Amino acid sequence: MFVTVSASAPVAAEAVEPAPRPRRRFRPASLVPYLYVLPGLAFLVVWTYSPLVQTIGLSFVDWNLLPTSPKTFVGMDNYVNVVQLPELHTAILNTIVYILAFLVFSLVLPILIGLLARQVKGRARTIYQALIFVPFLITPVATSAVWRWLFADQGFFAAVMAHFGVAMPNVFRDPDLAIWGIIVIVGWQMLGFGVLVVAAGFAGISPEYGQAASLDGAGGRTILRRITLPLLSPTIVFLALMTILLSAQWTYPVIDLLTQGGPTNATTNIYYLLYQFGFQNFAAGTSSAAGVVFFIGFGLIALLFIELQDRLSFYDN
Amino acid sequence: MAFVIVSAPASVAGAANRVQSAKEDLAVGSRTRLGVVVGHVLLVVLTVFSVFPVYWLFATALRDPAHALDQTLLPWPLSLENFAYVWNTIPIGSMLLNTFAMSLILAVAQLFIAVLAAYGFAMWDFRGKKALMFLFVGSWLVPFQVTMIPNYVLVSQLGLLGTVGGVVVPQLAGAFAVLLMVQHMKAFPRELIEAAQLDGRSSWAILWTVVAPNMRPALAALGIMAFISAWNEYLWPALVMPTGDALVQVGVRSFLTAEGNNWGAVMAAAGLACVPVLLIYVFLQRYVVDAFVRSGLK
Repeated sequence: MFVTVSASAPVAAEAVEPAPRPRRRFRPASLVPYLYVLPGLAFLVVWTYSPLVQTIGLSFVDWNLLPTSPKTFVGMDNYVNVVQLPELHTAILNTIVYILAFLVFSLVLPILIGLLARQVKGRARTIYQALIFVPFLITPVATSAVWRWLFADQGFFAAVMAHFGVAMPNVFRDPDLAIWGIIVIVGWQMLGFGVLVVAAGFAGISPEYGQAASLDGAGGRTILRRITLPLLSPTIVFLALMTILLSAQWTYPVIDLLTQGGPTNATTNIYYLLYQFGFQNFAAGTSSAAGVVFFIGFGLIALLFIELQDRLSFYDN
Repeated sequence: MAFVIVSAPASVAGAANRVQSAKEDLAVGSRTRLGVVVGHVLLVVLTVFSVFPVYWLFATALRDPAHALDQTLLPWPLSLENFAYVWNTIPIGSMLLNTFAMSLILAVAQLFIAVLAAYGFAMWDFRGKKALMFLFVGSWLVPFQVTMIPNYVLVSQLGLLGTVGGVVVPQLAGAFAVLLMVQHMKAFPRELIEAAQLDGRSSWAILWTVVAPNMRPALAALGIMAFISAWNEYLWPALVMPTGDALVQVGVRSFLTAEGNNWGAVMAAAGLACVPVLLIYVFLQRYVVDAFVRSGLK
């Protein structure tokens, strides 16, 4: 954009006033900026975009991942097959359950906590926040190990429940409970992150709006509904989008380490399914077709949210 | 892309809070004793929920194996026997060192590549800039699981399957690091660059003598984030080297499977896998939180 503007307009202007300082920092029309961008771009093309194109290509063939075996073109067959697979329906349903549950951990609870605890200030608050963030940093192998131990039949929760005379079910083997076990674990990791992001969002809201409304006689609840939450909406949209797009990736390691998607697919999600199709069933075509479907689906959701973000961003101008 | 960055500066440092606190309270009625008590109670409950599993991890690891199944809150008598067992059973020392080296290499590489690309994007206008920028932003929408089969095939063709190299190479550049760096670079004061240009310095020299030294906090935060992310990355290492003792994620996973319900040993190994990141957090807490909260991505 700058290139066209500065090439035509200043010609006339120059005669009148001494050359207006161009807004760019270095002279254009050289290879230099491309060279700076090149290394990052090369990696992006080799490890993200070219594989994306290949995945789309693989979604139309039948292939078992062995370099020696041929790829047979099957047209849309993979797509037709994959959308009929009951595993896929289960995985999509589970993913929706995961997303809704994580919205509670990453968004609803952090906002409630942020509102209820905002009178806690200073050093105490810093310390609480620092500790609440710790689970986010625990490596998946350790997270899975300690929660398996907490939920074990000789573990801490069983001991606590025995105290009240309740027997501890085997959480990760129970088709109804397993998904909630995974949700608690990953939710535990997300909560601290959500709390800090929401706290940053609250801190960015100028208190003057609320003060002005308060002088006009607005009550606490009105201020919350009409001022605080609308001003927080960019943060809310951001966290919601992240939760929707990344839930399936956050749960992946814990699923792999604790349940491998079981029992009977009760905990699997869409990305774990891609892994199973590809690396357990060696059905590269099926995995790729499902991958393309998910990619397009999430892409549309993201576009929707970006649109939403643009509409909401006027609030604090 | 606005949605990538949380617009408000992180309140985490605490300083901002203190400055604002007096005014902020006016907005919602003055600070009440009840409100403060409710807040503390809530935050204490939350903190216990967050910290207890981590505490329990280390408490179990430090318990004397004779009392392995005790559920007392304090692990007494303390013992390092579980750690000794782990040390003697698997090469945990070299696993930690390898993973540390790998994460360090990845952090430095990602930082270096991100600084170069962000410099190019932030300081020049050039043909195709928008399209190229879109490629970096758009990669956020390509989940790794969707491209993992072609990635796996490529690593296999390069002969890197089962090696640390195969884990490292695809991750040497992070689009996300580039986007964060662009944000920082755009905010860089232009006068400093113009002054250096008047001195006749080349763009390369300006980058390393003017821009980079002045962006140390941002570079530190991003580097730490990249290190932690590389350390905690699970999917790709598990795919490229499903067995073996080279990296913590994979090696400890095998140990957990092999030891089953030998909880003390399992917790000791899992605890060791967290120690480096937790140490970084203890000493560089502000950078860690700032980077993750601003970015919102692992």
